[in-house]
Amino acid sequence: MTPTREEMRKLALPALAALALVGAGAALVWSAGQALARAHGQLGAAQAERKQNAERLARIAEEEREVSEKLDVYKQLKRLNIIGEERRLEWADAITRIRTQRELLDLSYRVDRQKLLKSVPGKPGSVDFFASTMSVQLALLHEEDLLRFLADLRDSGNAYYSVKSCTIARTGQAATGTTITPRLRATCEIDLITVIDRGAKR
Amino acid sequence: MAARYLLYFTAEDHHLYTSSGGRLELEAKFSGDDLGVTAFREYLRGRRGALFAVLADLAGEDFHEEQVPFLRGGDREAVVQRRLAQRYRDTRLAAALSLGQVTTPQRRNERLLLASFTNTQQFAPWLDALEESGARLAGVYSVPLLAPALAARLGARGPRALVVSANRAGLRQCFVEGGRLRFARLERTVEMVPQALALFVRSETLRLVQYLGTLRALPRDGAPLQAFVVAPPGQRAEFEHALVSDARVQFHTVDAAQAQHTVKLRQAPEGTGAEALYLSLAARKPPREQFASSAERRRYFVWQLQRGIVAAGALGFVVCALVGGARWLEVMDVGNRAAAQQREAKLAAEQYQRITSTFPVTETTTENLRVAVLEFRRIAERSLAPEAAFVHVSRVLEQFPQMEVDAINWRLGRAGEQREEAPAAAPGPQGEQAVQFAISGRVNATQRNDYRGITGQVQSFANALASSGYQLARTQLPFDVTSEGTLTGDIGGVDSGEAPRFTITLSRRLQ
Repeated sequence: MTPTREEMRKLALPALAALALVGAGAALVWSAGQALARAHGQLGAAQAERKQNAERLARIAEEEREVSEKLDVYKQLKRLNIIGEERRLEWADAITRIRTQRELLDLSYRVDRQKLLKSVPGKPGSVDFFASTMSVQLALLHEEDLLRFLADLRDSGNAYYSVKSCTIARTGQAATGTTITPRLRATCEIDLITVIDRGAKR
Repeated sequence: MAARYLLYFTAEDHHLYTSSGGRLELEAKFSGDDLGVTAFREYLRGRRGALFAVLADLAGEDFHEEQVPFLRGGDREAVVQRRLAQRYRDTRLAAALSLGQVTTPQRRNERLLLASFTNTQQFAPWLDALEESGARLAGVYSVPLLAPALAARLGARGPRALVVSANRAGLRQCFVEGGRLRFARLERTVEMVPQALALFVRSETLRLVQYLGTLRALPRDGAPLQAFVVAPPGQRAEFEHALVSDARVQFHTVDAAQAQHTVKLRQAPEGTGAEALYLSLAARKPPREQFASSAERRRYFVWQLQRGIVAAGALGFVVCALVGGARWLEVMDVGNRAAAQQREAKLAAEQYQRITSTFPVTETTTENLRVAVLEFRRIAERSLAPEAAFVHVSRVLEQFPQMEVDAINWRLGRAGEQREEAPAAAPGPQGEQAVQFAISGRVNATQRNDYRGITGQVQSFANALASSGYQLARTQLPFDVTSEGTLTGDIGGVDSGEAPRFTITLSRRLQ
């Protein structure tokens, strides 16, 4: 049976309706699939969050011990101004004070530009370690002067002093008897390390 | 379900019924003459597209059995049409009912029951009226075509059955064999009392059985023929009394109400005979075989196609809805599980917050506190003060008063740098922090050309220094005693007074 044009016209509307129904059904299936994928994603995220929180809760005793232990060190670093911005004026004051107190004959120094030593990722911000290398030249009467200078420098705070090198050599100058002549000359390179905690509470 | 119009077509007058939801209602009654046709045309006005079926209940219906070669498709149709044309002068209303296959010694044949009306012209004006009105003709049926379905509903189980009913047109008898119509006849009746009607049914049934016997349609000495008689309402008792079974016929009297129930006819108009059963079957479950040509049923076919397309679309939608519904149920389930997980995560977080709120107050976060201290400790471990080395040298020097130190060079560096300077030493892994210091000095109180003495003293001094974790990296003597070098001497000469110089290099790896 070959349909006529009139019959085709009569069949067009039902065909459109059928297509619309099938299309609506397909859209329903598609939207349900999308919703299912989203729901699975949310479930995965929720499971991961629950697991993370549960693990964190399980570690809380250890964390408490760790916090109280590390807090002492942190407070000490803060008290010594190791954590915080560089205090170059305080460094200069400290060296001047040590030279005066220890009656050092000659003392010259140079502090280089600050460099980033290491940046450790933290939460919410990183913890950055900076170092400024200081070159010191001292004229010594006795090698003990160098050791005292280094000890005084450490005690002065405002940075963590990491000695990279030290050379002591005889000057070869003979004692005149009228003036105090240095018998030794020391040259040291010291890293002055400070820490910036980007996650610290203001 | 849309209402169907059923035109009950008899030799005298025609009744138009509507069937909907198991209810049969009489819509109109038309006389069989031209006035009736005119009234029918008038009735059809404004009913364009309505569904119509014609149920003929006429005496002049011919049944003739034929055999044709077993064919399929267009070939079969051509053969059937040829046989119908050979049998009937007017094939407008003719049908061929298949009675199954039969295998002869020569070939396989198909048995056909050719059926038509002896006077098809009486239908013509009515069918033309339907065609002109734009109504959809579902089919032209005759009561016998519906008899197999009624027999099955009435409980006919045997190979042969006779269905007898008192219709408005007369007493209708249909012989059904193997679930297929074989023969039917209509005997006019007049108004008579129930007992007389029952006796008439019995006598006509026995006559038909005798006729079928002569046609050899019934087996000789076979089981009695099952006859299902539909008794008019309230006449079952009289029928059962009159219809006594014997060796030839076994009567089963069925009450009209019970028969209506079996065909799911809930309501029939008052005064309607057993034709209501056939009308109900024609409306609810019409047989495939009917008399109208495909051209006359074209509108109905298109209508069926329209409904089929929409039904296919609806079926597709239902399937999709089921799949989508199942997925939405899964979405809800997954959502509930996610919500439960989020609740647990929140509870754990709250518990964590509650516990950590009792922790000491810090100026930073726990994470930053941890990383700051850990990294600072790492830096501190890699740092070392030079005092310890100086103290170590000082203690060793007390044991060697003849040694005079000119310079000490202390340095914190990597093990790789140490290796370049002292290939003989056992270096650590590349990149490992190490302290190295070099001691330069002189050996006093020993003659310059006393090589053995100087070598012994320097080596003793170096060995003493290589203690407390320090390793000897290199010893440089005032002279070269190796085979590659040049050794000079001036025995008996004047001593210059300058003490011989040496350099000892030590190293210590950081833990």
